[in-house]
Amino acid sequence: MNPQAKEFVPQSFLSRNTEETVLNGGEDTESLGKKPSVTGFQESWEDNLVSNEEKAENTKEIEDNLQSLSVEEAPKKRDEQSSEETWDEEEYEQRTRTANFDTSTRKHVNIVFIGHVDAGKSTVSGHILYLTGMVDDRTMEKFEREAKAKNRETWKYAWALDTTEQERAKGKTEECGRAEFLTEHKHFTILDAPGHKNFVPQMIGGATQADIAVLVISARKGEFETGFERGGQTREHAMLAKTAGVRQLVVAVNKMDDPSILNPDGTWNKARYDECCEKLLPFLKQIGWKPQDIYWIPISGYTGQNLLEPVDPAVCGWYTNGPLLKILDELKPPQRAYDSKVRMPITDKFKEMGTVVCGKLEAGVITREQRLIMMPNRVEVVVDAIFIESTEVDKAEPGDNVRLRIKGMEEEDIRMGFVLCDTDALVQGTTLFDAQIMLLDYKNIICAGYSCVMHVHAAVEECTIEKLLAQVDRKTNQVIQKRPKFLKPGMAAIARISVAQPICILPFKEFPQLGRFILRDEGKTVAVGIILKVGRTSTIE
Amino acid sequence: MSDDTLLEKAFGGTGSTELTESDRAVAIWKMKKLIKGLEEARGNGTSMISLIIPPKDQLSRITRMLAEEYGTASNIKSRVNRLSVLSAITSTQQRLKLYNKVPPNGLVVYCGTVVTEDNKEKKVNISFEPFKPINTSLYLCDNKFHTEALSSLMESEERFGFIVIDGSGALFGVVSGSTREILHKFTIELPKKHGRGGQSALRFARLRLEKRRNFLRRSAEIAAQLFIPDGQKVNVTGLVLAGSADFKNELNQSDLFDQRLHEKVIKIVDVSYGGENGFNQAIELAAEALSNVKFVQEKKLIQSYFDEISQDTGKVVYGVKDTLKALEMGAVEKLIVWENLEHHRLLLKNPQTGEESVQILTTEQLKDSRFFKDSASGVELDVVDQQPLVDWLADNYKKYGASLDFVSNRSQEGSQFVRGFGGIGGLLRYVLDASVLEEPEDDVEDLDDDWEL
Repeated sequence: MNPQAKEFVPQSFLSRNTEETVLNGGEDTESLGKKPSVTGFQESWEDNLVSNEEKAENTKEIEDNLQSLSVEEAPKKRDEQSSEETWDEEEYEQRTRTANFDTSTRKHVNIVFIGHVDAGKSTVSGHILYLTGMVDDRTMEKFEREAKAKNRETWKYAWALDTTEQERAKGKTEECGRAEFLTEHKHFTILDAPGHKNFVPQMIGGATQADIAVLVISARKGEFETGFERGGQTREHAMLAKTAGVRQLVVAVNKMDDPSILNPDGTWNKARYDECCEKLLPFLKQIGWKPQDIYWIPISGYTGQNLLEPVDPAVCGWYTNGPLLKILDELKPPQRAYDSKVRMPITDKFKEMGTVVCGKLEAGVITREQRLIMMPNRVEVVVDAIFIESTEVDKAEPGDNVRLRIKGMEEEDIRMGFVLCDTDALVQGTTLFDAQIMLLDYKNIICAGYSCVMHVHAAVEECTIEKLLAQVDRKTNQVIQKRPKFLKPGMAAIARISVAQPICILPFKEFPQLGRFILRDEGKTVAVGIILKVGRTSTIE
Repeated sequence: MSDDTLLEKAFGGTGSTELTESDRAVAIWKMKKLIKGLEEARGNGTSMISLIIPPKDQLSRITRMLAEEYGTASNIKSRVNRLSVLSAITSTQQRLKLYNKVPPNGLVVYCGTVVTEDNKEKKVNISFEPFKPINTSLYLCDNKFHTEALSSLMESEERFGFIVIDGSGALFGVVSGSTREILHKFTIELPKKHGRGGQSALRFARLRLEKRRNFLRRSAEIAAQLFIPDGQKVNVTGLVLAGSADFKNELNQSDLFDQRLHEKVIKIVDVSYGGENGFNQAIELAAEALSNVKFVQEKKLIQSYFDEISQDTGKVVYGVKDTLKALEMGAVEKLIVWENLEHHRLLLKNPQTGEESVQILTTEQLKDSRFFKDSASGVELDVVDQQPLVDWLADNYKKYGASLDFVSNRSQEGSQFVRGFGGIGGLLRYVLDASVLEEPEDDVEDLDDDWEL
């Protein structure tokens, strides 16, 4: 039903890969061989979850596939499926927007900047905006002047995204900043996440909307180390982005031009760059990132080196993979669910000539005048206008970060985390569900009666663990013990969880974007999980 | 109504010896339970006497006063009422005869006839010395017992106010004794920051500022209302400000925030969420400043218990059966019990063999006749003694060399302890053999067992 779901299912993914390999003339063979040996816990247990039930047929399927690879005769059913799922350039062109928006031929991609506080996320994003012409010289001059007045000249680029006074006063992003820019092939929406550990909830909100994450790390002496230590946000963010469903990661090693690490001759220090990468890679692998999904690049956010233009070989001769924007531009766009029903979690809302809601359209296509239902309230609304950033368009496609002006519902009645659905495919609200959770980090143990905060797509709710149903092996998903009394860090379990307010969720297998969640407590990410079964439905009347 | 022999044991006029911290906590808990029982009691007519004598008062003065009251009461017209008042005064006098002087902490006497649930009359005669000096003089004859003075005796512990304020709303709460109470909570929708540019950027920025200011104003006003209810004096010993963004600091520095409250701010902490979760985290973070509040001590105690479990030391025990077994073996060092534990302890006797046995049953199981039959012979067993398990533990924990701590389920840890571990457990002195402790899991396979992988 949803092609993106497929990406989480290696075994069945394999079947598609096989097809692709056949279609693309064997260019993707690498992903075939490594299949069963996924390293990361998270990916693997998500995989296992699905794979478990399909195991029997899958093993057979794999064999089939391996044979079919050589003989080129895949079963007919799969053939059909794959033609739908593989990226079809022609089809895409047909479906592209016809609106006056000049990005009509560009694919829309959401990109989130994550990393430890003061790594330079906002500066990099701001500088990109400046370089791509989204912020004009005059505005930049204004920022520069104002920043200078505050004796904080280096903050000038960040001010393009840190728009509120509080943020500018402290130089700390508090909420996700949003902006857009264009490259040759793509239309990007930037989400600039806050790095401070108190604002991790806001960062999660940004990460759930993103397709690609840029992990900005500071190479400056000491800064990299603190960001990467236990409790540093480099680790937490990378993990949260993975859990939130981000598929590709670009690691940008920032501040390469910092005097503390610069080579004596003024060139960028390769040893430091390698050191950062080497320390980071095992950790990224451990939390489920696959090395082929990670791209590495040294940059300097403040001077703008290696952002739009490749870095001067005289400064950094050892890096040749092209600038950041080129890497972003060339990333494979994520799969989009064009043909499924509309599902759009609400991330923001405000009043402007009516009720306006913001969010990322996860699946389906929304056109003007379309009738949709806002769940869990079950209120019918009509789409009055569709905006992508500041431009009005006729229709929104999956992956678009849109603003919809709707009729039929007041702004006050909408909460973050509500979901807009097609009238015939509602995502029911529920207060009770069963989920598989994986306890990551907690001071001692958790057991029934534990309450914390849950992040699921755009919704943030207080939840309580009602019951621990079973402890399972995190690799094989076998039940180790029924009704465990408690869980210790590192354990995986199936738990029944209740929330105070109805939330719109779906089992992970059905629709991953609405099926994964994060549990946080006391400023730490306690557990991640996926939803197995949704309990009785309830609506807010 | 609690048995009065039990009470005498706890508070009896033997003169207070030096109490350890733990004993004191148990005494407080017992008193709380007693107050609850007394509050609920209702009598016929105005025949229930509450008498509180402060320390250093003279017994003879009270006796004289009672004798006068007796004289007045004999003039009551209604015969039924007169008789019951007279009898209540007589028993009060009798009770006072047990003491030859007022104990150091004062004396509290409750006498009267209460109507029990099944409409039977029951005489209640209670006298005890409170755990700390009571500075009230009271004599009242009413249709209920007056316990306000006792309640305030417990409440005089320090109260700490909390204001959790962030971009999504504000929460006002207090932590005092073993309770955590949310006084007021409201949510607001502050506009988020929007993308750059657009013709309305300025308008949004202005709206944003305005809403933020209104929110601060409202929070400050509510804080003043809640923490300075009479407009004179702050009713908390300290105030903790918590929140994720800068609101807490803005509030603290704002002129809108009452100066008197400003002085009471003892700590400002960073929490990641608003609402209840933020409240919990704020308590956690402010724990040092609150270290002598029972609520925080409770949290710490259960946390140390959880630490033991997570470290696999084996020096813990949980569940009713296991814990009692370990207690009997003398292995329990610290006994932790939920104050509202539902279990009852029954002493049963087989009328044929004369054999006595102890059963621990939940309130549910009490209604089940199966537990009152001898499994082998099918003989119905006589109940020799029945009392709530908590009471029994409060009386007997010392015999087993343990210390006893009562906890509530109002903290995060407490709630987990009650729901995950059955509300009773203990820290052990040494590791017990696992085979001794294999609690036969009465695995009730309930209907919601149909989870799937």
